[in-house]
Amino acid sequence: MSATSAAAQASQESFDHTDSNVVIETRNLGKTYRDFWGRKKVAALKSLDIEVQKGEIFGLLGPNGSGKSTTIKLIQGLLFPSSGRAFVFGKEARDVTKNERIGYLPEESYLYKFLNAEETLDFYGRLFDMPAAIRKERADELIKMVGLNNSRRRQLREYSKGMTRRIGLAQALINEPDLLILDEPTTGMDPIGSREMKDLIIRLRDEGKTILLCSHQLADVQDVCDRVAILHQGELRELGRVDELLKVRDVTEVHAKGLSEDLKSKIADLIKTEGGDVVSIDNPTTTMEELFLDIVQDDRPGSRPSGS
Amino acid sequence: MRIEEYQLWGYFEWLIFKFGLLHGLIVAAIVFLLGFIVCYIIGIGRYGPGEGFFRVTRVIYELLARDLPGTSLSRVYALSKLAFQEAIRRKVLVLMAVFIVVLLFAGWFLDSNTSNLAKLYISFVMTGTSYLVLLLGLFLSCFSLPADIKSKTIQTITTKPVRPTEIILGRIFGFSAVGTVLLVAMGILSYIFVYRGIEHSHAARDMADDGKSGTTFVEASHSHTFEMVTEDDGTVKYGVTDEEKSHVHTVTATEAGDKTEYQLGKPEGLLEARVPVFGQMAIYDRAGNLSSSGLNVGFESEYQTYIEGNSLMSAVWTFSGVNAKKFPNGELPIELSLKAFRTFKGDIVTGVQGEIVLRSTDGLVESDRIPFIVQEFDVDQQVIPQKLSGTVINADGDPEPKELDLFTDIAKGGKIEIQIRCIDPGQYLGLSVADLYLRAGESNFGWNMFKGFLGIWMQMVLVICLGVMFSTFLSGPVAMVATLACLILGFFGNVAMDVARGDAPGGGPIETIIRMPMQTGALVDLDLGNPTLETAIKFADQGVLYTLVTFFQAIPSFGQFNTSEFVAYGFDIFPGLIARHLTMTLCYFLLCSIVGYFFLKTRELAAA
Repeated sequence: MSATSAAAQASQESFDHTDSNVVIETRNLGKTYRDFWGRKKVAALKSLDIEVQKGEIFGLLGPNGSGKSTTIKLIQGLLFPSSGRAFVFGKEARDVTKNERIGYLPEESYLYKFLNAEETLDFYGRLFDMPAAIRKERADELIKMVGLNNSRRRQLREYSKGMTRRIGLAQALINEPDLLILDEPTTGMDPIGSREMKDLIIRLRDEGKTILLCSHQLADVQDVCDRVAILHQGELRELGRVDELLKVRDVTEVHAKGLSEDLKSKIADLIKTEGGDVVSIDNPTTTMEELFLDIVQDDRPGSRPSGS
Repeated sequence: MRIEEYQLWGYFEWLIFKFGLLHGLIVAAIVFLLGFIVCYIIGIGRYGPGEGFFRVTRVIYELLARDLPGTSLSRVYALSKLAFQEAIRRKVLVLMAVFIVVLLFAGWFLDSNTSNLAKLYISFVMTGTSYLVLLLGLFLSCFSLPADIKSKTIQTITTKPVRPTEIILGRIFGFSAVGTVLLVAMGILSYIFVYRGIEHSHAARDMADDGKSGTTFVEASHSHTFEMVTEDDGTVKYGVTDEEKSHVHTVTATEAGDKTEYQLGKPEGLLEARVPVFGQMAIYDRAGNLSSSGLNVGFESEYQTYIEGNSLMSAVWTFSGVNAKKFPNGELPIELSLKAFRTFKGDIVTGVQGEIVLRSTDGLVESDRIPFIVQEFDVDQQVIPQKLSGTVINADGDPEPKELDLFTDIAKGGKIEIQIRCIDPGQYLGLSVADLYLRAGESNFGWNMFKGFLGIWMQMVLVICLGVMFSTFLSGPVAMVATLACLILGFFGNVAMDVARGDAPGGGPIETIIRMPMQTGALVDLDLGNPTLETAIKFADQGVLYTLVTFFQAIPSFGQFNTSEFVAYGFDIFPGLIARHLTMTLCYFLLCSIVGYFFLKTRELAAA
């Protein structure tokens, strides 16, 4: 995929992090996990350079262990980089004041199970120093938005996985963040919930918010993301606009209806006589999945080629 | 109970003249210096000398410039509330139920035949409360943060604008609040338990002497005899019982028809909070000259010094502020808790005898000798009447007998000297500055018990601070063991300190290890036949011991905070002592918070 590699390289040019349109920037970001004695164990992320622009939905894609979560944790200062730096809103990742403008939905909604929905939102609202009246209003709004109005007084330990995801999303939105970081946002959600989540993500983007999401639900990524970075074994393999990446430049796709088998073979012959190759004449597939598999199809144990 | 000399220091006396402030600063300096060096060494190992130094100083800079100014009370409150809710929903209130059950059945097991029931009950409830509350603090503080890191809920917190300071303060405040609520409830129950436990009355029986005296029925394993006071008009209205089991009852006589009924009131003298006034002690040697200390009678007592009987040796206490206003009853109550050391059996029935002389500070006015018998295992109460006979040195320098007034003649300007001598030849009296004091008045028992519980509260806060600090870098169980180790060392700090200071016989750790297989006695000098080697061993031991002393000094001495004995023995807890303990608690709180901050700040919370 030479064209996409070129796109990836183009975006690897160095950037001034004070550019107000760049929300997240990583420079040569790397993370090596070490054991107690400081010996290298795993190089989870190798020299990542990406930047996320204001108002876009940026997807981080990759199989398990590819460095997606590590990247997200490095960006939020939950892990310290072994090399390079990460900036959010022009601030160092370890600076907690950047969190004022971030909403984060972790992989499994790490929330306090002994609180109910209202208490949860009130608690996280307090962490943003929000005044009581606004906190109450916002919590109420969000509970209704994520559809938990009937369970607002129930402790989270009684919640199903999908409900936990919903309250997790609500807590991520409590501060009306400018940047939303979503780790596997649709896992555990039913198809309707999943659809609602995707609609919400697009709506938030339209409101001018920036969204960084990481997922291996390829369909989700294809549906919502403006740009994606595909990570594999800690390295950046592809980076670019989704429509660009999925456009297979040396393949032409013709959509037509009502062709007879005879006509199909005639078209194939015509292509051959004109010097082209017939790859297939078939119904189109989910090409994101193909793209993904193309990049990831090394023989690895524990690989998960498709999540959809 | 014994009151240590260090407990008598006033707050500022301790802070400045007894180097409390200096000691605190040294501990803080050592902790930070050591911390900086260790962190820098790790930094060098990971990033090289230049980058390592930058990273270490950056963390310090961030604390002072960013995280401390950025700490918000609202967030601390939110995190405290969370810690509180967590504890409550983990059902810590079960502890309260345990306490109530213990109290309900305690009456069955506590020996009601003891000589002072109040002492027993107070000791019991206060010890029970402190064990429960300290255990609670230990468990809550050590496991919470590691559990949050393990369950990754901490990640949802730290991705909000939450400073590490707020996480630590939130935990400490939250858990302290839980403990406080429980402690207040336990305190109230304890007070009721003690109050109700000792309350009893007797019915009068066997009146004799024309209704002027009588005995009572047995109640609460004892009975009293009592004498009625005849008023000037010949009527009998009030009386008082003898002292039995450390208390008396007031007896009231009422006329009911042609019969007189005698009623006994509540027990008096059990729930006390005596306010002692301590003085300065000076020792005079056998020749009657001022001496720096008394005699050493061997390994008898660490804190008392001894004076010899039938010699000029004496101990003189100087008190100030002694006037009729402060002692409105017109008498001077003195309490003594001296020790006797016998070189021969003597008159074992009577006991060792001593004498008290009251003297003006200029030495011109002196009372007659007031003999007493040393009560070795109890507090000896002596009441000096206002009018007493004595001598005055006249213009010729000769003593002249005269009737004296305690306050106007002897205690001129409020200053008085009280001299103690031992009469019996060959016997010795052990005394320390706290062994003789004036009983200035009574404080409220409930208030004193509150102060005692404040001591337990401070111990609990210390445990929580230590637990939270350890849990920032250790896993739950390990943090608990570490805190427990501090707790034990803190309670039995004296033993550890003696070993560390080298006061305990047998030398330091290396010497002891050599002594054990050689089976040499601890009091014999180490003899390996090689002086160089012996010196080397002693030198190495000194190094180890010095490190240990520094280490032990950094651990709060929990035992010191335990003032329940004051409550049980009926002493008002000195305000200076409470102020000192509060200061120490505050200092440890700050120290633990800062140390915890550095660990939390430099920890990768997602890497667990």
